[in-house]
Amino acid sequence: MKKRMRKALACLLMMTLLLGTAACQSGQSNTSSEKEEQPSSGAVSSASVESIESTAAAKDSVVIAIGSEPETLDPTKGWGHGNSPIVQSTLVRYTADLSFENDLATSYELSEDGLTWTFTIRDDAYFTNGDKLTAQDVAFTLETAKAAQGSVDLTYMESAVAQDDATVVITLSRPTSIFLNTLASVGIVPKDAYGEDYGVDPVGSGPFKFVEWKPQEQIIFTANEDYYGGAPKIKQVTVVFMSEDAALAAVQAGQVDVAYSSAALGKTEVEGYHVEAITSADNRGFTLPVLPDEGKTTESGAPIGNNVTCNLEIRKAIAYGIDRQQVADAVLNGFGRPAYSENDGMPWNNPETVIETDVEYAKKLLSDAGWKDTDGDSIVEKDGLKAEFTCIYPAGDSVRQAVAMAAAQQVKGLGIGIQVEGVSWDEITQRMFSEAVMMGWGSAIPNETYYLYRSEGALLDDFYNPEGYQSELTDSYLDAAMKSLTAEEANENWKKVQWDGTDGTAMKGECPWVWIVNLSHVTYVRDGLSIGSQPIHGHGHGLPLIQNLQEWAWTE
Amino acid sequence: MKRLNYRTKAVILAAALIVILVFLYALGSLIPESAVAGSFLEAGQPPSRKHLFGTDSLGRDLFLRTLKGMSLSLTVGFSASMISAVIAVVVGVIAATGSKRADAVINWVIDLVMSVPHTILVILISFAMGRGLKGLLIGIAATHWCSLARLIRGEVLQLRSQQYAAVSRKLGKSSGWILIHHLLPHLLPQFLIGLILMLLHAILHEAAISFLGFGLPPEQSAIGIILSESMRYLSAGMWWSAMLPGLSLVLIVLLVDRLGERLRTVLDPYSAQE
Repeated sequence: MKKRMRKALACLLMMTLLLGTAACQSGQSNTSSEKEEQPSSGAVSSASVESIESTAAAKDSVVIAIGSEPETLDPTKGWGHGNSPIVQSTLVRYTADLSFENDLATSYELSEDGLTWTFTIRDDAYFTNGDKLTAQDVAFTLETAKAAQGSVDLTYMESAVAQDDATVVITLSRPTSIFLNTLASVGIVPKDAYGEDYGVDPVGSGPFKFVEWKPQEQIIFTANEDYYGGAPKIKQVTVVFMSEDAALAAVQAGQVDVAYSSAALGKTEVEGYHVEAITSADNRGFTLPVLPDEGKTTESGAPIGNNVTCNLEIRKAIAYGIDRQQVADAVLNGFGRPAYSENDGMPWNNPETVIETDVEYAKKLLSDAGWKDTDGDSIVEKDGLKAEFTCIYPAGDSVRQAVAMAAAQQVKGLGIGIQVEGVSWDEITQRMFSEAVMMGWGSAIPNETYYLYRSEGALLDDFYNPEGYQSELTDSYLDAAMKSLTAEEANENWKKVQWDGTDGTAMKGECPWVWIVNLSHVTYVRDGLSIGSQPIHGHGHGLPLIQNLQEWAWTE
Repeated sequence: MKRLNYRTKAVILAAALIVILVFLYALGSLIPESAVAGSFLEAGQPPSRKHLFGTDSLGRDLFLRTLKGMSLSLTVGFSASMISAVIAVVVGVIAATGSKRADAVINWVIDLVMSVPHTILVILISFAMGRGLKGLLIGIAATHWCSLARLIRGEVLQLRSQQYAAVSRKLGKSSGWILIHHLLPHLLPQFLIGLILMLLHAILHEAAISFLGFGLPPEQSAIGIILSESMRYLSAGMWWSAMLPGLSLVLIVLLVDRLGERLRTVLDPYSAQE
């Protein structure tokens, strides 16, 4: 009897111990895998209490949860790259359909040789520290951005000079059609208030004023009441950084008004919120090495080339063998659409890039080129080489993993074996020249096409062209597009890069990339809040969401 | 039917537990990787007759993954604790029979290793050894031998002062002879029980380290991996992806624990009379 009691007690003790360990483990996980989330949860609750109170009273503040923290708020170092910088204002800005309208500029003209831009600047723009925004600030910003050599590419700019307070003259070394796109994302910084710590304590002339940035927690903005474009309706904005699932939990708890979530979680219905699936050119696709493995390596010793994917018929068979709609529906829960190029839906996209899924054609491509399954393992081979390769993706990125695995399952039917493997970014940099990578691109600026396909950029460490694609034809169209004097002319050439009627970078052409899906940016929005008309989003974990903050408003 | 006495019952139970564990291990290793792959069209399904544990976000059958994971846990756990137990015996015997200085050094090292929390040490070692199965094995093996080594050192010190050891020495037997004929056989129970208790720890550590992302690669069917993946979908209501594999982990640890308990009953001289 006593014995049994002791046994029972021991059992109980064991269970408690086990549960204790388990609890302890999950506790550890919180701090390590969701570093940002742990401290912020406290902050959110306090911030959200405020927000709930104030929404009850006036409803003029929002709490937004997004996935990634910006590295800096300095536009010359990349803040606002591809989006509007909100704290600062820009010379020109995008409209929702991605054409341009004047912002700080009241007019601009381009000389006939395409080298000299002259901008006239409005005289009612002030920085939030009270200083007037002048042409000197514009010139200073552009020169600083050029010198910083960050993600703002201004290498083609010769000089930016202020002629007087309202006129700035910018000279380029060669005509550059994407110059306006670049200007639309470079916020103007104040020359006199710019210093080392500008990136963490910015002053600008944009619709919002920077208040506070707690790293890995939150950034707070307030409305700039003196904004020349009219004070925004939302007076206080708190941006908190959370992983996608933590953001959904915060939505379920009613702690945030807007949350950037993921396709996998977007099916969850939450009362009081609706899901907005924002169209994006944020794409996912394979980069496939186009060079054969000849034992060469890059400067850093990474092997180059893959003997399977260097065959055009293999790349094309994969392109035609993937049922993109099925991937979008099943993997992304419908929060996505098929991708056929790096910039679907943009004004500079060529609709000819669209291909229909055609498994029979894909199989024919393979058998015509001599790929046959002779040993009955359902993988085709040619001259003793099996059509098998590895596709790597950054471990922890569940969307890339799911898209890669779904695509791998689909092309298995063609007799092509793709082994999907999650590795660190460091390892990707070592292996991306010789193995397929599940990458993501998508930008509001057409020069992405330039970086992805130019011969000069082949096999660089910048992830744009790890497959080693080089083509004189493509280069000629790329140069023509960059040198075009009007956006229309440039767009014509960007389209020809993809498909000029006979060849191009499209999947029915040289096919260095197999594009699979464009993600919709799944966003939970509290009922009664309007987040404006969102332009097509580029690649980015939630930051594109806040680019039109001044259009947001509570409607009820 | 004759009532079985306590020890016989313990032997039978221990044997049964070993059979169950071996069965689980074999089942897991017999499932081919291709069977686990599943189809992305069946992603996120709750438990059903077709998928006992439901499917994960990539459409893989969680029951098969869990079985494979348990088998992997046993492999990692057993290899790591075996290595660790052997280290413990070697170190313990050296400390007890070697010079005073060797004893001091070994005790100092044991104190050092034990003063650092296990999990952190395993993470560091596993990370430095390039993660994966190898890193994890080395990490666990290198951290779990301390307490057993200390126990064995004490045991050897005690055994050496026993009369039969002293007599052997007086009769001119070498230290090696005494070690093999007198000491090691007496250490066997400590070794076995230590091994089983370590196995339990090793399994939990393997799961914990993989869960935290410092262990096995994400494609591997390991319970730690399954659990860490499931965390992302808990807020979307996929309770089965965490609960059922988690319970399986608890189950296997409990089985091992019971096995250790039975073995102790059988081997421990103090329970010989029960």
